[in-house]
Amino acid sequence: MFAVEIDQVTKSFDTVTAVDALSLAVPKASIYGFIGPNGSGKSTTMRMIVNILEPDSGSVRVFGEDARAKRQGQIGYLPEERGLYRKMRVGALLEFHAQLRGARKAGPAVAAWLKRLGLANRANDKVETLSKGMSQKVQFIATVIPEPKLLILDEPFSGLDPVSADSIRGAILELRSRGCTIILSTHDMGVAESLCDSIFMIFRGKKVLDGSIGSIQAKYGSDTIRVEVEGGAAQLGELPGIEQVKDWGQYQELRMSAGCDPQKVLECMLARARILSFSVVKPSLHDIFIRIAGPQPEEAPVD
Amino acid sequence: MIRALLLAKRDYLQMVQSKAYLFALILFPLLFAGGFLAIPLANRGNSKDLRMAVLDRTGVSAAAVMEASGRAYKRAVANVPFSSGSAPRLMLEEVKPEADSAAQYLALSDRIRSGELFLVLEISPQALDPGKAPAGGSKQAPVRYYTNSGGLVDQVALWLPGAVNDALRRVRLAQLGVDPARVGSVLGEVRVESMNLATRDPITGKIGVGSKKNAVQAGVVPFFLVFLLMMISIFGSAPNLGVIAEDKMQRVFEMLLSSASPFELMMGKVLASLGASLTSSAIYILAGLAALAGMAMFGIAPLHLLPWFFVYVIASVLMLSGLSVALGSACATPQDAQHFAFVLILPVMIPIFLLTPLMQQPNGALATGLSFFPPFTPVLMLLRQSMPGGVPAWQPWVGLGGVCVWAAAMIWFASRIFRIGILSQGKTPQLGELARWAFRH
Repeated sequence: MFAVEIDQVTKSFDTVTAVDALSLAVPKASIYGFIGPNGSGKSTTMRMIVNILEPDSGSVRVFGEDARAKRQGQIGYLPEERGLYRKMRVGALLEFHAQLRGARKAGPAVAAWLKRLGLANRANDKVETLSKGMSQKVQFIATVIPEPKLLILDEPFSGLDPVSADSIRGAILELRSRGCTIILSTHDMGVAESLCDSIFMIFRGKKVLDGSIGSIQAKYGSDTIRVEVEGGAAQLGELPGIEQVKDWGQYQELRMSAGCDPQKVLECMLARARILSFSVVKPSLHDIFIRIAGPQPEEAPVD
Repeated sequence: MIRALLLAKRDYLQMVQSKAYLFALILFPLLFAGGFLAIPLANRGNSKDLRMAVLDRTGVSAAAVMEASGRAYKRAVANVPFSSGSAPRLMLEEVKPEADSAAQYLALSDRIRSGELFLVLEISPQALDPGKAPAGGSKQAPVRYYTNSGGLVDQVALWLPGAVNDALRRVRLAQLGVDPARVGSVLGEVRVESMNLATRDPITGKIGVGSKKNAVQAGVVPFFLVFLLMMISIFGSAPNLGVIAEDKMQRVFEMLLSSASPFELMMGKVLASLGASLTSSAIYILAGLAALAGMAMFGIAPLHLLPWFFVYVIASVLMLSGLSVALGSACATPQDAQHFAFVLILPVMIPIFLLTPLMQQPNGALATGLSFFPPFTPVLMLLRQSMPGGVPAWQPWVGLGGVCVWAAAMIWFASRIFRIGILSQGKTPQLGELARWAFRH
């Protein structure tokens, strides 16, 4: 059984089609990553799952029921644009959010989460005194108390320092281990690759990727050479069978055309410069994202 | 509904604990009391004795006119409401006519301009024979007065003409040879009082003969109740405009939308406003009753109207809060929200502008008709109910029915705008666009 089933859903705003005939199934107790460029339809899809927006056509089912059914406390939603009552005290605010989602006595859970995310000493402070990172952690806690069966996080890591991001990441993994299904959107492909069981990419309202990292990468094959060469990317121009060179600074990624022999590419490179490392790899999620959402040949800027 | 109550509780506590609420709570009685305190204060500034000169061209009327004017002035001063008895005294002097009347007019006018004189009263010979045609066909009044005082209401005209006429009648009768001892019983004034209507006690069946109307009860009590209702309605509803726009700008609603529906969020705001308004009402009413008891005037308290007062507070705040949350949710910033404030207070302010004519004829066609128009019903029906004589028993109930329908329509209208408004981005829409939101599927 799936936690979320989206079937042929379309949602338009005036003349803009934000989501176009989208179908998706999110397994229970998994972490599902939503990726896509800004304005591609990620947040609209999430809002339809939470029933903030209704689809124009198609259906959204959550735990087998229509998304419009009342599931108080079952869904936690952290929106991308989020705010808190600034004049309230942190502890009282979190208890208020918990009560709204059906929890009667949330005090111990609030205290435990505040301690876990390093905010135990801020429980009596007003929200307006918190830093941006602290506010984001409080927003995350407000979303997970009481513990939901489905957690939807829109850009949960944006603006967080690495320590705070790690603590949120640890909490997400723990919630998943306890059976919570998590849908999160992110622009950080590293986070998506390392954290998500499955990835869904939406582009211009349409689904363009859906599956595990492995299956997505397998679809693109091992068409990438990762190389470290003395002299950098300047040594890698006009190599036979290479479609594109991506310079990452410390190393370069070369995309091979179909039928290209990596051995011949290596021979050519050896004739030009000293090679420090050379490996044939599957394309990264970042690379796949760029291949789909980057400027198309006819759209590419002309110098 | 439980979530709406939870939201309402939070918003209510935030509202009544805010400095703005406490400030408004204190400001209202100061504003109200200030208006009444201003009367004695305005008179206090005029504590200098008032000097009135009588220019008697009849040669026989000055003494009688001065005596009657002095008495009439004292009565008039005593009837000023909330006066402390420290009104200026009226000093009278007789001025003999001079040959050069134009020069004398100018000299007397200069004395008025310099503040030495308050008023000059000129009595022409025709005053003793008003039935006779004036010499030379003059259209001038036989008695005239000159003064610099007076504004919108000429206070002198309230007491001086009666006194002058009384004095002149006495002089005329004396000239006809009537015994002055008998003049008093002929010209003596009798009191004429306004009375309340007789009523039958619904329980005992006993008929109660109408009692004397109390001026404070007839004027101040209705004004107080209506003013209180108006202020509470505005103070309870208007803050929603800025608060909701602020919450929207801070993206607070986004966080709440997975836990509560837009309708629950809106009703939370409306119920919080209602709670704050009822709290203010209860405080003011209790304080008012305590003040009346302290002044031994508890009898004028309109206790029978208090349930209606609270009903009208609920109705008025529901109507206005619905509108204010809808308008606030549509605004991009709290500053934009202030532009809609006039739309909000209009239904309350229009009846207030009409208060004077409506208080003069509380059961006239205009007052009766307007009091059935739902946005005006709370203020105008309460005003009419609180005036002496009241209204037919069915009218408040019919008015209330209209208000309930109107309030339900406002809440529906508001909820349609609110659900779109809280997620809308960009510039604040015009009123026409809001109407389209309300009626869009």
